[in-house]
Amino acid sequence: MPKGITRRKATSLLAAAPALWNAPAALAADPPVFRIGALLGLTDKANWNATVMQRGITMAVDEINAKGGIDGIKVEAAIEDHQGVPRVGVDALQRLRARYDIQAVLLSYSTVALASAPICEENKIFMMDGGSVSDALVGKFSYLFHNRAVASVLARAALSIPKQQNMKKMAVMAASTDEGQSLLRLSQADWKAYGGEIVEIEQALATASNIDTQIAKLRTSNPDFLAVWEFSPGPGLVLKRAREFGMKQPIIGVEYTAEIAKVAGQYAEGFQFASDYFNPNVDDAWPKQFAASYRAKYGADPEVYAANYYEGIYVIAELIRRARAAGKAYTGEALRTALLANPKVPSVYGGNLVFNPDGSCLKRVGIFSVKDGKAGFQHFAELA
Amino acid sequence: MALFAQLLANGLGNGSFYALLGLGFGLIFTTTRIVHFAYGPVYAISAFAAWSGGALLGLPLAVSVIFAPVAAAVAGAAIYWFGYRPFERRGMSSHSILILSLGLSIILESGLTLIFGPSIHTWPDFSPPIFIFGPVFVTGLQIAEAVALALVAVALLLFLRGTRYGKAILALSDNRDMARIVGIDTDIVSLIVFALASAIAAVASVFTMLNEGATPTMGFYPVFVAFVVAVVGGLGSIPGSIAGGYLVGLVESLGLWKIPTGWQNSIAFVLLFVVLLVRPQGLFAGMRR
Repeated sequence: MPKGITRRKATSLLAAAPALWNAPAALAADPPVFRIGALLGLTDKANWNATVMQRGITMAVDEINAKGGIDGIKVEAAIEDHQGVPRVGVDALQRLRARYDIQAVLLSYSTVALASAPICEENKIFMMDGGSVSDALVGKFSYLFHNRAVASVLARAALSIPKQQNMKKMAVMAASTDEGQSLLRLSQADWKAYGGEIVEIEQALATASNIDTQIAKLRTSNPDFLAVWEFSPGPGLVLKRAREFGMKQPIIGVEYTAEIAKVAGQYAEGFQFASDYFNPNVDDAWPKQFAASYRAKYGADPEVYAANYYEGIYVIAELIRRARAAGKAYTGEALRTALLANPKVPSVYGGNLVFNPDGSCLKRVGIFSVKDGKAGFQHFAELA
Repeated sequence: MALFAQLLANGLGNGSFYALLGLGFGLIFTTTRIVHFAYGPVYAISAFAAWSGGALLGLPLAVSVIFAPVAAAVAGAAIYWFGYRPFERRGMSSHSILILSLGLSIILESGLTLIFGPSIHTWPDFSPPIFIFGPVFVTGLQIAEAVALALVAVALLLFLRGTRYGKAILALSDNRDMARIVGIDTDIVSLIVFALASAIAAVASVFTMLNEGATPTMGFYPVFVAFVVAVVGGLGSIPGSIAGGYLVGLVESLGLWKIPTGWQNSIAFVLLFVVLLVRPQGLFAGMRR
């Protein structure tokens, strides 16, 4: 036996041989950890969503590492605060690049994503966005993928509610944000194609606290229903003020969160909305396990944002595995190639998530109705 | 016509709220010459104080709301005593104090976020009564705002005209140096002004908390509205602040009758621009206290 190799060492090496045989070959360029960046609006004025996104990310990373990481290498999330401000988001992204040479990043907030995506695109950083819905982000960037239904899908899904009831006159309350304007633009086209009439369009800042004038004008237009193209917590105040000011028409939207419920209070009753449908009670094992773990850790049911950012980490982890299996190092390009080669990825919603070539995804959108303060699933939207 | 009537009612309702904001802000500026941007976080602190009374201590609303002016008065006084006063004593310029007030505002907002978190804190199951006058809907909160403004304005007038410290405040707002020469303790009077004005802001803050909940950043926009109201009405004039509040409320509401509501947040500042151009001392500056 050559000097330096003892009998004990040789026995250990022989014992480890089967495991080494089955494991993917270690790549020369393997990093010490697979670091995934995330840009969240942690101190934005409407930052509740970022809190649940962060929870989802943390849970996914902890779970993956508890199972030994990806092929034995740990995963780490590098979360930066974009404050809801595009300039700050770009600075945060550059920090992630400079510090960690980040290869994959989770984006949020349409305006921040729009500012950050060109930098990622230029540097071939893989992007996954589970929060933004703006159509301005779809098909424009080859490294950007969405695991949330985008505005065109959500607007059409929400408008399926009044269409089923043969309503014709729509009034709109839209946020002066990129998401709100995307929904407004796409819903106008969809509603006109259906033969409906838009009797009033009102707008307000996402964080506006005084919307009395808008509500007065919406009420006077006497619509068949009111469409609220705003995100949390905006719809809460719209619901409250619309009902306080005597609007009895159905109100539809695209989101209902705990924040909206708190602000709207009793006036949320009957609110109908279209949203990505995360069903914690589905029979599939993964959604059930995720929902149970989330409840145990945070004392609340996981919502869409928590599920999407949890899922985002798992999607990237799956792509890292695929890239490594193909002998490629951890780069944004390798992740993108792996996804385009097989756009099906396991989803925490159950079944598979399928990505379109333009970066959007095929995800079923549910129609919900609020009763006793809780959102109840009605049916899946028919989007012919 | 139904829309006009509703917008008029909304404008009057918001005007009461704005006047409350302008009263406190104007009082501080006129007396101390400090553009007090930390008025925003004080506004938020008072809302959280009222909310805490109910949510953390289980007190009824009628008792919890008392926490708001008390907390605001303490916070306002502390900001003056430990924030502005040391720098005033070192002879810092008003520009430096302005920057300091912005810095304090950011620090306090961040502190509130660390303590309470970023999410909305609402008073559970609060629903004001709705009054219907023909085509016009008025909420109980809008009426309460008008009543609160009347009570605060009368109390403030009585305090300023009828008490020793009130007269000292008036003297300070007329001429700070002369007031010091005749023996008025300007530090103590400024301290009282900060406490008093912050307590007035707390009244408006409680209405916001009941209407839409409290957040650490809830004072960001109100502080600018307060500034506009105080300047438009005429700094240092109580009737001016009230008139300014109603003017801003009505212009903001009725101004959007025929133009898109996307302009809502600009209207108050357009009014400020016009007033500064044609009557920089404020529209009602002649109406003394």
